[in-house]
Amino acid sequence: MFRLTWKNLMASKIRFALTTFGVVLAVSFVVSAFVLGDGLRRSFTDVSKDITAGIDFEVRNTADFVKPPPLPPDVVDIVAGVPAVRHAVASIEAADNAVRPITATGDEIPTSGPPQLAFNWIDDPALSAFTIVDGAPPQAGEFTIDLDSAEKYDFVIGHTYDVMVPSGRVQLTLSGTSSFGPQNATLGAVLMQMNTAQASELFGVDGIDSVAVALHDGSDPAEAQAAIAAAVTASVPTAEVVDRETVAADFASQFTTQIDLVGAILLAFGVVALVVSVFLIHNTFAIVVGQRSRELALLRTVGADPRQIRRSVLGEALAVGIIASATGIVGGIGVAKGIDALFGVMGFDLVDWPLILAPRTIVAAVVLGIGVTLTAAIGPARRAATVSPMVLLSGTTSSSGRHVSRRRALTGAAFIATGAALAAGGAAVNGAFPVGVGAILLFAGVTMLSPMAVGPVTRVLGWPLGRVATVTGRMAQRNAARNPRRSASTSAALMIGLAVVAIAMIAAESVKASIGSTLADSAKAEYYLSDELDEVAFPAEVVGETLGLAGVDAATGFTPLEVRIDDTVTEVIGFDFDQIDALLDVDVRAGAFDSDVSSPVVVSAGEAARRGLVVGDTVTITSPAGITMATTVAGTFGDQSVLTEDYLVDTRVLQALGAPVAPEWLAISVADDARPVDVQHLLDTLESRFPYAALETAAQFEERVAGEIDDALTMVNMMVALAVAIALIGIANTLALSVFERTHELGLVRAVGMSRRQVRRMVRYEAGLLGSFGATVGVGLGIGIGIAAVHTFPSDVATQVAVPWDRLGLLIVIATTAAVVSAWFAARRAGRLDVLDAIAH
Amino acid sequence: MTLLHTTTSNTTAQVAASVRDAVKHYGHDDTQVTALDHVDIDFEAGAFTAIMGPSGSGKSTLMHAMAGLDRLTSGSIVVGDVDVTSASEHELTRLRRDHLGFVFQAFNLVPTLTAIENITLPMDLAGRSPDRSWIDHVVATVGLSHRLRHRPSELSGGQQQRVAVARALAGRPSVIFADEPTGNLDSTTGSEILDFMRHAVRELGQTIVMVTHDPLAASYTNRVVFLADGRITGQLDQPTPDTVLDQMRRLGN
Ligand SMILES: Nc1ncnc2c1ncn2[C@@H]1O[C@H](COP(=O)(O)OP(=O)(O)OP(=O)(O)O)[C@@H](O)[C@H]1O
Ligand SMILES: [Mg+2]
Repeated sequence: MFRLTWKNLMASKIRFALTTFGVVLAVSFVVSAFVLGDGLRRSFTDVSKDITAGIDFEVRNTADFVKPPPLPPDVVDIVAGVPAVRHAVASIEAADNAVRPITATGDEIPTSGPPQLAFNWIDDPALSAFTIVDGAPPQAGEFTIDLDSAEKYDFVIGHTYDVMVPSGRVQLTLSGTSSFGPQNATLGAVLMQMNTAQASELFGVDGIDSVAVALHDGSDPAEAQAAIAAAVTASVPTAEVVDRETVAADFASQFTTQIDLVGAILLAFGVVALVVSVFLIHNTFAIVVGQRSRELALLRTVGADPRQIRRSVLGEALAVGIIASATGIVGGIGVAKGIDALFGVMGFDLVDWPLILAPRTIVAAVVLGIGVTLTAAIGPARRAATVSPMVLLSGTTSSSGRHVSRRRALTGAAFIATGAALAAGGAAVNGAFPVGVGAILLFAGVTMLSPMAVGPVTRVLGWPLGRVATVTGRMAQRNAARNPRRSASTSAALMIGLAVVAIAMIAAESVKASIGSTLADSAKAEYYLSDELDEVAFPAEVVGETLGLAGVDAATGFTPLEVRIDDTVTEVIGFDFDQIDALLDVDVRAGAFDSDVSSPVVVSAGEAARRGLVVGDTVTITSPAGITMATTVAGTFGDQSVLTEDYLVDTRVLQALGAPVAPEWLAISVADDARPVDVQHLLDTLESRFPYAALETAAQFEERVAGEIDDALTMVNMMVALAVAIALIGIANTLALSVFERTHELGLVRAVGMSRRQVRRMVRYEAGLLGSFGATVGVGLGIGIGIAAVHTFPSDVATQVAVPWDRLGLLIVIATTAAVVSAWFAARRAGRLDVLDAIAH
Repeated sequence: MTLLHTTTSNTTAQVAASVRDAVKHYGHDDTQVTALDHVDIDFEAGAFTAIMGPSGSGKSTLMHAMAGLDRLTSGSIVVGDVDVTSASEHELTRLRRDHLGFVFQAFNLVPTLTAIENITLPMDLAGRSPDRSWIDHVVATVGLSHRLRHRPSELSGGQQQRVAVARALAGRPSVIFADEPTGNLDSTTGSEILDFMRHAVRELGQTIVMVTHDPLAASYTNRVVFLADGRITGQLDQPTPDTVLDQMRRLGN
């Protein structure tokens, strides 16, 4: 039996290769996720160990929520005063991208890539992560930069450059280049250093981040740690002292989260490829078993046991699985190297990483490759085993796969009904969970029932074909409908892929439309000043300065702050209550933005309803600085499209909470009668002070957000492209097999006068019908689920449903065209058949 | 052998297909088979001709060559006014579609098309609208009026062959080639089909060339051509089962 299996495999190498392709891809992605992750993690663990080698302890602040506040600078002296301490130095690090050097040509280094980080220079090789490569450490008015960035962006020692800092722009001279660890393992980040005094002045950090500690040789670490802790906590109760291992591990984990993200994306690609491949493999085996049913029946009549036949088919699947797994492991290493190269191209130069093929990687590859293939082949194997010897006599090749069993039909219908009810119900009550479950049920139900739909739907879709190409179109439609189960499972992969794109497109379109319409409703200010960088804030005095300019009617900055309200950590937004009415209409439902109330807070209508808050009630807020205060509800508001948080506080409350006023963005309203020259002056002033910030009108802001949403769709689109590519291989595969199966028939129609071109066209039309069937059903399903999904979005994300009909239509057209193209090979083969040979088949 | 080349003297009858010095080899060198060995023959228009001969004598090869399904090694064949031997693939397709009819031994029909769609297939492929009254006439003659909307799988073997004959007739081709059209049928059904073909020749003026092994089937035709080892070995006009059997015996099969 095994020899038969092997012979069958070798008999059709192309089919075999196509079948395996999806599994190989899936296994490759999974393996690459592991290989790249393991290698990079090892590298970064080594880098972290290197860099922290000279540190004995680190003193840092803790917070029971969010990012710990900085330590007061005098902690350094306190630590240095402990007898066992040889040296204690302050570390100060600017927020990501808060400090950015401008190149000699005046260009900013793009912030969309790796971050730009600034540190204070530590003059003790044991405690510093950096060493000077060329030049000298930074003195006052100077800075150093890592050697790779210096080379890449042409920073020359001795030259003076503009550097953007939170308070504006300063000019500093490059005194040298540095290396981060021996390898300068920056991952493409730009790393700058300044002396400590200048760092505390320019980085916008109110204190120091931590203290690095080196002990005298021979002192007892445990005793020293206790002594340092005792000394520090006397002054800062929330401070802690951690050892080198903890520092190294924390340091490494900053990288591992990013490594894990890349790994997760690769795994997601693997899963997508896997799901789609299941259909492809199942289909190939089902067709092949169908075509071999005469041979199988012959085996049965000469005494083969059903079990032997089943084993023979499963054996074939096993062989496919083993080869796919093995190829996938090799392919995975290739994908990992490719991604490394890709990162390099995008500017994230990865460190050298060792090739680690962990046992778990191999096990995962083998389990996936073989498991999936075997699972997909179980159904066809069972059907093969039950082929009746009568098939030999009746002359029909395959009778299976024509009809949908009653039970399957009923289950499918029940799934669809339940799924639709759940999705609709979930949409009505904003429940994402029921919509999700409903979506899965709908997918399952539609997949089960789609064989029943193939006939009618392709008849409708094929109608225009029948107009332009009467016979070939008609025959293509009949062929597509002739084996409904085969056609359905061939197009199922495409269906799922396109449904996902449709959902993503509807979600994105709805979010964009909602932003547009709510912004139009609520934005009253003419100009918005923002830095695209989340963590970078504008200096507090900018608001006052702007208000002082001629022609400016109102202006305020918006400062987010993480706080604890009751037991939940949440973000509040602080701004000037006096100014807001002229800038934003956030749909005040009750009360007002009343700054006369002591410690006013305005709560979203939804949150107020949830917590039963009314105007005059008290809300207790605890800040990261540890200050707890009682605020008074001054009003409620309904429109969260611009101010997305639930709690809005006055700037004075922010200050009372011990938080710095550091606005992320500003809204500026120009007086109705402002002179154009004043407006121009305002714009020029802001422009020159913050040349790299965005000063936009509401419409420009909307456009930028829409663009960002489109960018976010890129990853989804890439995954779908992968799924669609595999689905198209499935269509190509099915058609190649169908053409083979219909050889006699093709010979016959050629004999009675069908031209080669007509034969090719017939095959392509069939592919087009399969493609448009999958695409239409998929997009239809996607529209339903997409609409339900948008209803579950929070009101600050989407308030209305928008369906991009034109682009969804285009999607169907593209998928159909791609299906037609994918059938090129099958069509060519069908056209080339020798008439006599074919008839004799 | 005196019976050879009778057609050259018969100038009154129109020729539907003429074969000149046709040679067909299969394979090379040691394994070479000569399927047709300098065959010369004309098929009269409006006649029903049978080709007989032992298995492997080259009957199918001759038919396939005439229909442009297979190329000769040398020699020439003209069907209607088309030189089949020098025609391009495209011209051959058009010839088959517009000027030839075909009936094979079995599996003649496209399973996804109904009987009537199978019948009009060549015309549909040509994009010509069928001559309705002629089609109705053919269908009525074949006795299929009630089964036109059925798929081949819903028809008996005899009915399927009748559909195949009706398709061959539908386009009023210059010649219809039928390779053992009744070989798979019982004698009653077979004789129905043969009756019908004879009718098509006599009443509808068609030209049919049929390969058969059955003397009874051959007796439905106007003339029998005998083939052996790729050569024409004899002819017989107005055959009856007895004269055919007699001739077969004399030729040694
Ligand atoms: N494709 C081919 N390749 C090689 N030899 C062939 C091929 N087709 C036919 N032959 C040979 O050519 C000769 C004539 O074959 P042909 O099919 O014409 O015989 P036939 O008279 O139709 O026989 P039958 O009555 O069995 O159908 C035979 O010897 C056959 O083996
Ligand atoms: Mg033959």
